Amino acid sequence: MKRRRGIYPLLMLFAVVAMTACSCTKKTVPPPPGYGPETGSGQAGSPGAMEGAGNRWRALGITTQAQKARFLERAAAFQNEDVYFDFNTYTLSDAAKKILAKKIAFLQRYPSVRVTIQGNCDNRGTEEYNLALGQKRADAAKEYILNSGGGNFNVNTVSFGKERPVAFGNNPAAWAKNRHDHFVLSY
Amino acid sequence: MFVTRRRFVFLCCCLLFWAAVAVRGASAQTIYLDITNPNFQKIPIAVPDFKYMSPEQTQLAHTMADLLTRDLNISGVFQCLDPKSFLEDPQKMGLHASQINFQNWKQLGADFLVRSSYQVQGNSITLKGRLFDATAGKLVGTPKGYEGDLGAWPDMVHAFADDIMQMVTGQPGMFNTKIAYDQRVGSSKEIFECDIDGYDPVQLTHDRSIDLSPVWSPDGRKIAYVSYRSGSPKIYVMDVATRATRMLCGYPGMNITPAWRPGGKELAVALSKGGSQDLYLVDLSGKIVRKLGVGFGSSISVSPNWSPDGEKLAYVSNESGNPQIYIYDLATGQKTRLTYSGKYNTSPAWSPKGDWIAYCGQDGGGFNIYVIHPDGSDSHALTHGGGNVAPRWSPDGRMIVYSSSNGGMPVLRIMFANGTGDWQVMPHPGGSQGLPDWSPPMNGQ
Repeated sequence: MKRRRGIYPLLMLFAVVAMTACSCTKKTVPPPPGYGPETGSGQAGSPGAMEGAGNRWRALGITTQAQKARFLERAAAFQNEDVYFDFNTYTLSDAAKKILAKKIAFLQRYPSVRVTIQGNCDNRGTEEYNLALGQKRADAAKEYILNSGGGNFNVNTVSFGKERPVAFGNNPAAWAKNRHDHFVLSY
Repeated sequence: MFVTRRRFVFLCCCLLFWAAVAVRGASAQTIYLDITNPNFQKIPIAVPDFKYMSPEQTQLAHTMADLLTRDLNISGVFQCLDPKSFLEDPQKMGLHASQINFQNWKQLGADFLVRSSYQVQGNSITLKGRLFDATAGKLVGTPKGYEGDLGAWPDMVHAFADDIMQMVTGQPGMFNTKIAYDQRVGSSKEIFECDIDGYDPVQLTHDRSIDLSPVWSPDGRKIAYVSYRSGSPKIYVMDVATRATRMLCGYPGMNITPAWRPGGKELAVALSKGGSQDLYLVDLSGKIVRKLGVGFGSSISVSPNWSPDGEKLAYVSNESGNPQIYIYDLATGQKTRLTYSGKYNTSPAWSPKGDWIAYCGQDGGGFNIYVIHPDGSDSHALTHGGGNVAPRWSPDGRMIVYSSSNGGMPVLRIMFANGTGDWQVMPHPGGSQGLPDWSPPMNGQ
């Protein structure tokens, strides 16, 4: 009995440490963008809960409901605008660079957000080569953002190759939509 | 003198007769067949229902004959005769050469006859398989015996099919091998394995994520594969028997296209750590042994595949502006471009004998399976319909499995290495299938 009594608090302490470590990990690593729920705005808690999750918003420089609404609007625009590529390339077009310039402006305004760039390909060609190609597409946008001189932003990349098409069908319109970088925010 | 001459002639006749018998006998035991020869004609063989020696599990009499028929038909060596033409009741027919009317079987066109029996006792089964040369009217080799749990009957039938191949061609069949592949399950993609005749598909992963690129370890006990279960592509290794899985490579960026080096102590992988893509050698703990440095500027380097001697890697690079296949020599560090025809050549797969590299190339008909010699000569297409990707060789080098979306949903197909005899592995796959890999023989496991 004595022994057990000695161990029990230790176990409790370990459990608490483990739980803390666990929640820390969850905060620093963006949730898996696999087939689960999309990351990003979903994490922000209930809208308008400035008091409850105030620290989070303050970290973004947001102290009023109006600022928060403005942020959410711009964040939605950031996530809804993709960058597109030609077949089998990962060169950024002028149109792509214009879109990235808007994203850089957003990141300068809210530098504490984290961005995951998801590189995607159309369904032609092989799964494995498309994984590598999608990574190049994501890396191209990441390099452009980091080399812009706008700041040292928190940008991750992941390639989904041809695994997560947004448009279905074997036609040039569907292919064009699937050759894209998609941008996901977490904050 | 005269007697001697007569005796000499007699001896010659004897010798000739003996030689004729010996040749016939040898051909009944071992016929060396080159099935890549376009003039090769498949050998007609009769597989009547097996004979049950006890009144349990009598339905297996037909089910086992059916599986053996399927195995022999996909061997590419045999053409099984339609059982509807058989004259005798397989349950009444004898099991020994003296009890078989070979004349009947010859008239049906059979060169060989399979006569098998089995006995079920409780939860175990004993199977005895005999192969007869119908023309010579005699047993080929010795009867083959198999026993084990009742549920293992498909493995026994596969083993018998392998033994028949061994007796007739001098090489074992591939029926005790497996194919690993990825398959869609709902909105996710999981790793599966199945027998090469499509039987017994088993879902190996339940990650509810994107799992792909399974590759068998050289001893057939492990599968390395790529999973997005943590959010980004990382390489994992699974022990197939226990399903225990551990992460092998989880470096920042992508960790894809694992390839076990022959010998099994290292893998070649494609990583994008540090922002540029390259091929790396890693050990069995995932530690980087060596960066191969095949990358060029911001080029793509992916899909390494080992030469059978483990000294060279075929891989895909786009350093010329579009994906082409290259060969990297690990000893000299030299890289050589292999493919020059077409603008999209990927997925190299070195044949087990080292004489061919199969790959996926884009042509006027879409994506098709090609082969080329490692010196760059004699490149030609094996498929023509388009939608054909991801080729991998059988361990005996006689067949190629690949993924084909020619009929709509991508499914696994197998063809002979000369491009003939193509068939769909699974009649009704549960979802689209891709990136197959053929296991080494699983005998003794």
